[in-house]
Amino acid sequence: MGNALFIIWRESAEAMLVVGILYAWLKRQPDGHKGMRYLWGGVAAGVGLALVLAALMLGMMQWLSADSMEYFQLGMVTVAALLIMQMVLWMRRHGRTLKRDLEQGLQQNLETANWWGMLTVVALAVGRESAETVVFLYGVGLEQQSLASTLQVIAIGLLLASVTFWLLQKGGRWLSWQAFFRVSELLLLLLAGGLLVNAAEKMMNFGWLPPLIDPVWDSSALLDDSTSAGNFIATLTGYRAHPALSVLLAYLTYWLAMWGLMRRTNR
Amino acid sequence: MSHLSLMLVMLCSLLGQAAWAEALPTFKMIARNGKLEPSTLSVPAGQRFKIEIENQSNSAIEFESLQLRQEKVLAPGAKSFVVIHPLKPGSYKFFDEYHPATSQGQIVAK
Repeated sequence: MGNALFIIWRESAEAMLVVGILYAWLKRQPDGHKGMRYLWGGVAAGVGLALVLAALMLGMMQWLSADSMEYFQLGMVTVAALLIMQMVLWMRRHGRTLKRDLEQGLQQNLETANWWGMLTVVALAVGRESAETVVFLYGVGLEQQSLASTLQVIAIGLLLASVTFWLLQKGGRWLSWQAFFRVSELLLLLLAGGLLVNAAEKMMNFGWLPPLIDPVWDSSALLDDSTSAGNFIATLTGYRAHPALSVLLAYLTYWLAMWGLMRRTNR
Repeated sequence: MSHLSLMLVMLCSLLGQAAWAEALPTFKMIARNGKLEPSTLSVPAGQRFKIEIENQSNSAIEFESLQLRQEKVLAPGAKSFVVIHPLKPGSYKFFDEYHPATSQGQIVAK
């Protein structure tokens, strides 16, 4: 549940940042007030897009058999991990120019009074965030909870995001968007690693991946992954008290690859 | 990219009808009142086996054991199974993640 909450918080704060940038820009324009309706229309369309995606996924779960479900979950966990990796790299590349890119897109649309174009810019920005959220949440298993607790987590996540957004907008010595992205980036990378470990284990269960040495060690005396705290850390980071060698290799490969990719985008 | 992998997953799921889960030593496990029964399950070491889980309680459960690389969610009234890889002799913990306080158990491989 903690994972799901974290994802909703991070993605909503990011979506709010995007909308906030657009809103502030519109307010400064002489014709801006005309655009407000389209801005909020774009937000609604983006959220709608994500809901359609979520409905499709839930629909698929209805007609999949038990075995197909296993494969489907493996696919979803893998896709969620890849999406997170892609997103972290994307933010690295575009985080600094995000504001300028968005404003340029708007400027072009404003000059031609193309409000529908603007709505699309917003819908895609918001939709991207929310669609990513849906896939992540599936990857960390939120769909297995009851509807009530799901809605509760979403509500808490949105509330936290609003508070975060407000604090970050006010700016301050302790909080900056930069710090927010750095901390949440690290958490996201850990989470993607956790999802990949999960995917590797599912593949081992299908017999697609040999365990090699199983287990390499037993660290349950240090941190037992069958306690609730240990289990939470295991889900968030991919920690295992009894890892098989192939899982360990996959994990190390992942961190090396991410480290290499991040260094490349920093240049 | 993600479309492609989803398509692949769908294809795999249509083709692969769990041939990997046939004709294995099978054990039954029942979830009720926040417990998993039996709480100690003896199994032969060194060979794959199957646990059929039935959720007789009125809330969802998740049979979980990171040591056995398993996590299986079952809705109230649902039945399913997990296939466990060959175990070295020893004991392996499992629990229901939605009722962690009451459902701790172990699988003993001999």
